[in-house]
Amino acid sequence: MSRFIVRRLLSIIPTLFIVVTLSFFLIRLAPGGPFSREKKLPPEVLQNIMRKYHMDEPLINQYFRYLGDVLRFDLGPSFRNKDHSVNDLIGKAFPVSLHLGSMALAVALFLGLSVGILSALNQNKWPDYAAMSVAVLGISIPLFVIGPLLMLAFALQLKWLPTSGWIGSRAGWATVILPTLTLMFPYFAYIARLSRGSVIEVVRSDYIRTARAKGLKESVVIWKHVLKGALLPVVTYLGPAFSGIVVGSVVVEQIFVVPGIGRIFVQSALNRDYTVIMGDVIVYSIILMGANFIVDVLYSMLDPRIAYK
Amino acid sequence: MPLLSKNKAEAVNEFNQYVKPVSLWADAWKRLRKNKMAVIGMWIVGLYLAVTFGAGLLPFYSYTDQELLHANLPPSTRPAGRVAIERLELRRGDILLAMQASSREDLKRDLDRVNEDLDRIRFELDRDPVHKRVYLLGTDYLGRDMLARTVYGGQISLLIGIVGTITAGLIGIVLGAIGGYAGGWADNLLSRFVDIMYSLPYMLVVIIIMSMFKDSSNATVLGIPLNIIILFFAIALVSWLTMSRIVRGQVISLKNSEFVEAARSMGAGPGRIVFRHLLPNTVGIIIVYSTLQFPSFIMNESFLSFLGLGVSAPYASWGTLVSEGVQGMQLYPWRLVVPATAMTIFLFAMNFLGDGLRDALDPQSKNRS
Repeated sequence: MSRFIVRRLLSIIPTLFIVVTLSFFLIRLAPGGPFSREKKLPPEVLQNIMRKYHMDEPLINQYFRYLGDVLRFDLGPSFRNKDHSVNDLIGKAFPVSLHLGSMALAVALFLGLSVGILSALNQNKWPDYAAMSVAVLGISIPLFVIGPLLMLAFALQLKWLPTSGWIGSRAGWATVILPTLTLMFPYFAYIARLSRGSVIEVVRSDYIRTARAKGLKESVVIWKHVLKGALLPVVTYLGPAFSGIVVGSVVVEQIFVVPGIGRIFVQSALNRDYTVIMGDVIVYSIILMGANFIVDVLYSMLDPRIAYK
Repeated sequence: MPLLSKNKAEAVNEFNQYVKPVSLWADAWKRLRKNKMAVIGMWIVGLYLAVTFGAGLLPFYSYTDQELLHANLPPSTRPAGRVAIERLELRRGDILLAMQASSREDLKRDLDRVNEDLDRIRFELDRDPVHKRVYLLGTDYLGRDMLARTVYGGQISLLIGIVGTITAGLIGIVLGAIGGYAGGWADNLLSRFVDIMYSLPYMLVVIIIMSMFKDSSNATVLGIPLNIIILFFAIALVSWLTMSRIVRGQVISLKNSEFVEAARSMGAGPGRIVFRHLLPNTVGIIIVYSTLQFPSFIMNESFLSFLGLGVSAPYASWGTLVSEGVQGMQLYPWRLVVPATAMTIFLFAMNFLGDGLRDALDPQSKNRS
């Protein structure tokens, strides 16, 4: 097991290296840069700026310099946000995104599993139909449609909740509700469908019949036996769900003006703020690969049949 | 004697009775038709395709003509001139009321502008046929018909879905089949590559690619704007991965079966075996997966357009329309609701159709998800 974990962890390094290299050259290949604006800078000024950020050197030198900096956990200065380093910007925004993402995942898991299991136990009755209709709806509607519609309904029409901002703002914790609901909806829907399907399958299996035949209480059968078997596909889905939530948070942060890394990412991509884009991509890659790693470990713990290859 | 029958269209069952052989497709079609939701989905998808791609033949208003006097009109079945006059009069009432409370200079200017517009519309009402238009779904902030814009926006969204599905399908099928059939180092190389691509935050890479070419939106290739072409490529580039994995798995599980051995013993080369024997056996799963992937292309495209990195003016996709609608949604909710509903209904139908196709073509997977 520990060998599996070490090998799995080590495989993150080359992938991360590829991510850094690929995005570095992709970004630099593009015409225009962080200093090209409507009003042209005088050539001397531009030259000085370029020299300051070592951008007058050959690209390959810049690449190795950047790699060296990254290895020392220094993501460089922001070109557009002069007073801040990338470490600063991301350090401030990351906890916000982490908070939003983990809340969305937790709510999606909790609601998804409960709805899925309840529909499976009431298969082909009206609660099942109602829940599954909502689930298909959740899978079909994109985030950027749900988000504005929820905002229109609950913030602008009913005025129950604030439209935008985050915990630090005047509205406080109420700001959290709409972004979390929006972000969790598709994953809640998918988890509900997934767990319904697997519970239906597991309930019919032999070992559940054995458990019932032993005279176990129904609640014990459900909680101890059905749930564990039914959890497996949901755990496999956690990896994709997590990366979906990470990408989805880009849109949700944009809609609800949440000061997280997703917002920074879009802004820096629009501004060509090289170092910030790179830093964001690195952080995102680490999160995604870390999440996949955890899911793999969880999966092998839940299902002993899986060999630690 | 049935066994001696030469007629190919007939076969016998274990009771020596004539039966009509049922092909995989006929069987799947029968199952699909029994699934009510899938059939409804199919009709809706068909209707969308017919309306969006036949839009040029249908009597829609132009989706580019700006009629500033008709800006932000609500959905209505009455002529636009009348609706516009009513809205202007309401607005004039509001301004007059506000003027009693304060004597701000800008209020007076607003009043002058409203009066001017009112006079113009009243004057043109019976002379200019433009004011006879009926905007069933309202207009946007430049006075363009929302119905026409949603239909033409759908054209671009659907086109991206179709082209993306075909491109991703072709790349995925060819690479998956090669890797699966060849095995050895070629398979290893391809699988590692797919694994690495999988662990990339690909939507973020697409965002970077799109932001790189944001400024070159005026260039065109063969009359298609460059940034739409790049959008096709950027999305297709990262979406063939799952398809190649699926095809690879199928090919590996089939390549040692008897019918492949038979083909090989009759002298068939690898190309013939892959394309004539292996791939036709995976068509079902390819179709199912493509149908399920189609809506995700549309979602990804709209996702980028929503962030301002996708299709840009004068073209519009559903994503562009939704993001425009969000900007004025408090006062003009129809600008958001119309494209959002159109898009949701389509994705809904597509999902039901995909699920139905999966159940029909691959009945064993029925309860898997």
